[in-house]
Amino acid sequence: MLSIKNLQAEIEGKQILNGINLEVKAGEIHAIMGPNGSGKSTLSAIIAGRQEYQVTAGSITFNGKNILEMSPEARACEGVFLAFQYPIEIPGVSSINFLRTAINERRKYNGLEPIEATDFLKTMREKMELIKMDKSLTSRSLNEGFSGGEKKRNEIFQMAMLEPTLAILDETDSGLDIDALRLVSEGVNKLRNKDNAFVVITHYQRLLDYIIPDFVHVLYKGRIVKSGDKSLALELEEKGYDWIKNEVEQVNN
Amino acid sequence: MNLQEQIQHDFRKYLAHENNDSSEIFAQLRHKAIAEFEKTGLPNIKNEEWKYTNLRNISSLSFNSSSDISNNAKKLLNENSLNAIKANHLVFINGRFYNDLSNIIENDKSIIISNLETERKNNSVHLEKHFGKYAKIEGEGLNAMNTALLNDGVFVYVPINQKVEHPILITNIVDATEFNVLSQPRNLILVEKNSSVQIIENYLSTGINASFTNVVNEIFVDENAKVEHYKIQQQCGESYQNNFTQFFQNTSSNINQVTLTLDGALIRNNLHFYMNGENCNSLLYGFYLTEKNNHIDNHTRVDHASPNCYSDEKYKGILKDESTAVFNGKIIVHVDAQKTNAYQRNQNILLSETATINTKPQLEIFADDVKCTHGATIGRLDDEQLFYLQSRGISKDSARRILLNAFADEIAERIKIPELVQILEAEIEKKL
Repeated sequence: MLSIKNLQAEIEGKQILNGINLEVKAGEIHAIMGPNGSGKSTLSAIIAGRQEYQVTAGSITFNGKNILEMSPEARACEGVFLAFQYPIEIPGVSSINFLRTAINERRKYNGLEPIEATDFLKTMREKMELIKMDKSLTSRSLNEGFSGGEKKRNEIFQMAMLEPTLAILDETDSGLDIDALRLVSEGVNKLRNKDNAFVVITHYQRLLDYIIPDFVHVLYKGRIVKSGDKSLALELEEKGYDWIKNEVEQVNN
Repeated sequence: MNLQEQIQHDFRKYLAHENNDSSEIFAQLRHKAIAEFEKTGLPNIKNEEWKYTNLRNISSLSFNSSSDISNNAKKLLNENSLNAIKANHLVFINGRFYNDLSNIIENDKSIIISNLETERKNNSVHLEKHFGKYAKIEGEGLNAMNTALLNDGVFVYVPINQKVEHPILITNIVDATEFNVLSQPRNLILVEKNSSVQIIENYLSTGINASFTNVVNEIFVDENAKVEHYKIQQQCGESYQNNFTQFFQNTSSNINQVTLTLDGALIRNNLHFYMNGENCNSLLYGFYLTEKNNHIDNHTRVDHASPNCYSDEKYKGILKDESTAVFNGKIIVHVDAQKTNAYQRNQNILLSETATINTKPQLEIFADDVKCTHGATIGRLDDEQLFYLQSRGISKDSARRILLNAFADEIAERIKIPELVQILEAEIEKKL
């Protein structure tokens, strides 16, 4: 589904990604971990189409298409979704109208008619129930005045509504209390199926108790330096990142 | 003949027929005003208050006065989107009142919704008491010009304890089909104790020639009265406008004022509030959308002349092309006006490299126990917000529209007539 080959990128002349290789297949959950500044958020931003980063080498294909050439909206319409680490507040834009517009633009992209109002409302009710989202949130302006936890939950709600084939969760767990974490994770688990995939970016093993990854990758200095199964996350939790850093430095020397 | 000469010429013409001016107070005022006009003249950019707004183009124009109106004007009137609002409708074309095109639906005969000329013929005590008492002419050349050649305008009187059921819609059209047009509406609105009224001023234009609309509004709001006042400016082509509005507020009065400027070659709004009693509330909100070479100038002044009053001001603008906007907001807290709460903000989005905004929020505080804030922002559309919307599949163009509409709607939604909000949001959407 997602194939990243030798991806190198920089921002303002500073190299951030140094050759990332990653293969994600339908039905899989990949966790990407790593110390601060290792390039995790940069990777997710580049997949979603942020223009500030310059891709200097490598490729990203999604379902066989080169998405580096696509606008952010085209990527979203193709089925890529990024749950933001810091969701943006948009005063004056109602959450409901925003969601309906997003769904309809995607339907238009795929040659479908706009969604019926009744279907939209029905789906919305179902998905809100799924992640136990407070109804009042959708009647407000998008993310405006939401608490950190509400914003993160709203990201997952949007994801549920848009039904992406690839969802990237960028530190969705940060700023969530344990109850919210469980709700968000349950939401992800319910949305998971054999046709979609998740890339979960996190600092902490905690989230991975709820969303069980098939693969865990460690990103360090813009490269994936270690990959394994879920036990790697536990190992990191126990030992920290230093042993990996040391391993990398030794190889380099 | 330039404008200055023309005004003097027109005044001499008036003098020749002065005996026909049956109302003594008007005659006195006119003489005082022409003297003031000759002394002050038209504003120029050496005047600090007019630094960014140059009337050069207007002052060199010559105007014809024509009594005929074209079919264009009637068409414009018939197609006016505001017709959908159930309202007391007063129609003025080139400054003249058209009774046959107007429609008053208010049943209560104690409420007067009429024109100044009719009221004058009725030897009104209200005119004697209020006319010319609030909009000053000293140092205000354009107000003096309006007063010297006083023609007609709206007269509204709401006696105590009355609520005008439907809004009063004032449609002002300039019809510049044949000639350059000078139109000088002069409106007087009196709202007595415990009464309330909603006023909509709508400015439209048609024709390829130039027009200059020079308005003076005096609005007296007595104790505990409520006024909603909405000004919608959408004159197109080579139309110029100076719009002076003075609110005079007594104790515990409430005003909700919204100014939406959607078109106009050059517009200068002077919106003034004078709080003459305690516990007054004044809300003033504005939105301007400028394009091409438009120049839109909003000067506001809130005189907190009494203690315990509240004012909240927010002006927002979207600027395109080579357009220019000016915001100058002045809050003056007088020496006795303790416990004043006054807030003022101006926010601008520049959509082109060549648009210009001159913004100057000003506070002058002479009391020591007050809460006042002011601020201004100038920026582009927020890239983070754009990306967020795009990342959900919304095209960049739609995302821009969504954000700009949301920015403008915040002001439009301050209007408390839902049908009007809908109409205006649609107009704004068309323009963006």
